[in-house]
Amino acid sequence: MSHRKINVDQYDDEDAFVDENQTASGPTADSAQVEADVNSRAAEVRNYLSRGDVAGAVAKALENPPAGRALQTVKDRNTATVMEALAAARSTDIINIVKGLSTQQMDILMKYIYRGMGSPELYNSAILLTWHEKATEVGGLGGIVRALTDRKTV
Amino acid sequence: MTSPEVHQLVWGRPISCHAFNKDRTQVAICPNDNTVEIYQRNGSGWELTETLTGHDQLVTSIDWAPETNRIVTCSQDRNAYVWTWNPTEGKWGHSLVHLRINRAATYVRWSPKENKFAVASGARLISICYFEEENNWWGSKHIKKPIKSTILSLDWHPDNILLVAGSTDMKTRVFSAYIKGVDGKASNPVWGDKLPLHTLCGEFDNDGWVHSVAFSPSGNYVAWSSHNSVVSLASGPNNPVITIPTNALPIVSIIFASETSIIGVGHDCVPFLFAQRGGQWELVGKLDQGQKKSVAANSAFRVFQQMDSRAQQTNQDVELNTTHQNTITSVRPYAGYPDNVTKFSTSGVDGKLVIWDVLASGVAGLRI
Repeated sequence: MSHRKINVDQYDDEDAFVDENQTASGPTADSAQVEADVNSRAAEVRNYLSRGDVAGAVAKALENPPAGRALQTVKDRNTATVMEALAAARSTDIINIVKGLSTQQMDILMKYIYRGMGSPELYNSAILLTWHEKATEVGGLGGIVRALTDRKTV
Repeated sequence: MTSPEVHQLVWGRPISCHAFNKDRTQVAICPNDNTVEIYQRNGSGWELTETLTGHDQLVTSIDWAPETNRIVTCSQDRNAYVWTWNPTEGKWGHSLVHLRINRAATYVRWSPKENKFAVASGARLISICYFEEENNWWGSKHIKKPIKSTILSLDWHPDNILLVAGSTDMKTRVFSAYIKGVDGKASNPVWGDKLPLHTLCGEFDNDGWVHSVAFSPSGNYVAWSSHNSVVSLASGPNNPVITIPTNALPIVSIIFASETSIIGVGHDCVPFLFAQRGGQWELVGKLDQGQKKSVAANSAFRVFQQMDSRAQQTNQDVELNTTHQNTITSVRPYAGYPDNVTKFSTSGVDGKLVIWDVLASGVAGLRI
């Protein structure tokens, strides 16, 4: 038996480290509300896309992402919304869309890029790599480090 | 003297940590093993005068008390030693500290009055150490709650009572380290009125583990850097936290250069300057402009140096444009401490100790 699989925390008398994902609070605490938000956002993003406003769709899709381990299906749905917006952009437009985002939106964008590349069977990695290249060009390595470090996954 | 002043103290090995004495004529470094080397300033260079042995494992932190001229070291062997200069024997002697921890000690700092020091550890606690006259040794009291993981860094408030700790459980916490019989009456307008030992005077959340913490010269601000490439500040337990996200790699060590400026170093191999300008904290720029050094001729010395540091015989151009050639792991004030730091020192994985002049570092139009 591999010693790496032993849960060492169970041998500790004091309470163990609590995963942020299990205790996500604040704006994402109420799951019914979050689900309604995600659904209405999906509709709004589709609206933007049907009008051909990709930049608006991307900015809208990156609003207030759901966090927390209990919300996996909602998170999956929101990821699909973001990917829809990202896939709609022409590769020549990406750089200008990225430049229009705030630092906070850039960080969320980078999280979704990694989330999308984690499911290559669902989302087109070639498009995501183009987004990744432009996001790194504008936001530097800091955005990547934040996406990899943050435990509040999307 | 040219700026920056570069001293390659060890070849092919990192400097884990460093600490200067009061008049900056001596420096103690750990060359990434279980020893501490003392160097004496010798003209423009440094001469190794003594190697302190006593620890069994990697020395993780060194601090040199300027007034009492005592060195404290801590190590992964779960011990800390206080070293005092013995003038009759002409060498440093050490006394053991009763830390009572069962994991590695990670960080140590003398309090401003030098009558206490705090040791951080992987045992999810901080040992506050003070001298017990009756036993003639350094005893300790523990701060345990609510720490959930290893403490990586500490810094003392100038009042000698408050202590800020950065932890791998992604929290920055301000504690009272009041020791009855050692400290006088304790009270602080920003951080709390009643300050018995263990009092939690502030707890701040992060999205990455905390590498380094610092109190501002007045003690009203606490700043910290976390692994998500963000430098944050807070003033008191209830005011909103100021965050400065950077485009750079994580910053692993910070100091306040003045009440309104911070110097941070880390994986980008250059010092960064953060400052409050127009009421807003921001990243001002790099303090190392990075010029390509002219590559010296392929001398025999250089060939052996390449073989030693990179196991290469040909002279490939792998130099970074920066003064440090690898991650900087430690930054400390050198001149002008505490509220107008004009010079600071850095050491890192490349085995270099560098002394920087803030104003000569080439940030255009710099006003701190």
